[in-house]
Amino acid sequence: MLDIYLPIIFAIFLIAFTLYIIRIIKGPSVVDMALAVDCLAFDLAVFIGLLTLYFRTPFLIIGAIALALWAYILDIYIAKYFVRKEVGE
Amino acid sequence: MFEIVEWIVFIIGLILVTIGAICDLAGALGLLRFPNFFVRLHAATVGTIGGAVIPLFGVALIAAVSSQIGPFRWAVAGGAIITAILIMIIAPAGSHALAYAAHKAKIVPVEPKVCDLLEEYEKKKMEAKKK
Repeated sequence: MLDIYLPIIFAIFLIAFTLYIIRIIKGPSVVDMALAVDCLAFDLAVFIGLLTLYFRTPFLIIGAIALALWAYILDIYIAKYFVRKEVGE
Repeated sequence: MFEIVEWIVFIIGLILVTIGAICDLAGALGLLRFPNFFVRLHAATVGTIGGAVIPLFGVALIAAVSSQIGPFRWAVAGGAIITAILIMIIAPAGSHALAYAAHKAKIVPVEPKVCDLLEEYEKKKMEAKKK
């Protein structure tokens, strides 16, 4: 049942990825691009979880945790640069 | 008896994944169509909480009852739940930090504005510093 149902979900997620990438390319300011990259990274984490179910490989889910934390680090560094005009440590 | 419970958990997981996909599409459309940054934050929250946390809980439920993955299925379920809880904490904190930075550095105009208490507070603080 998963083999039939999951490709439909994959198609919806790929349409959403395309819309996010259009916003990343088009974004009028840097914070818009950062917000779109944020959403794209969290959705890629979900996509990795769904691929784990589709390929029946348990080792793919490890990458999702690092991907979510990476998006948070990107947000915090961009926000800190705009507030203080320096990145800091 | 046990098979019925497994089927119910499986169907609940599929429903959660479907809700997540629909919320994700709605969030992407909103992020593309809304007029400025502070309005787009709403669509981004729909895309992260509705589109990332809920399907990860669904993935955890499906992986916990699907026997094809083998003995590692509890590892998949645990990883999915950990990622979901991390995103649930991280995504509002990150978007709030971005909104505060955009307001403070004045890179985007605060357009649909009724009253802006943060701007008034900072103006008052600057006047107090001048005196």
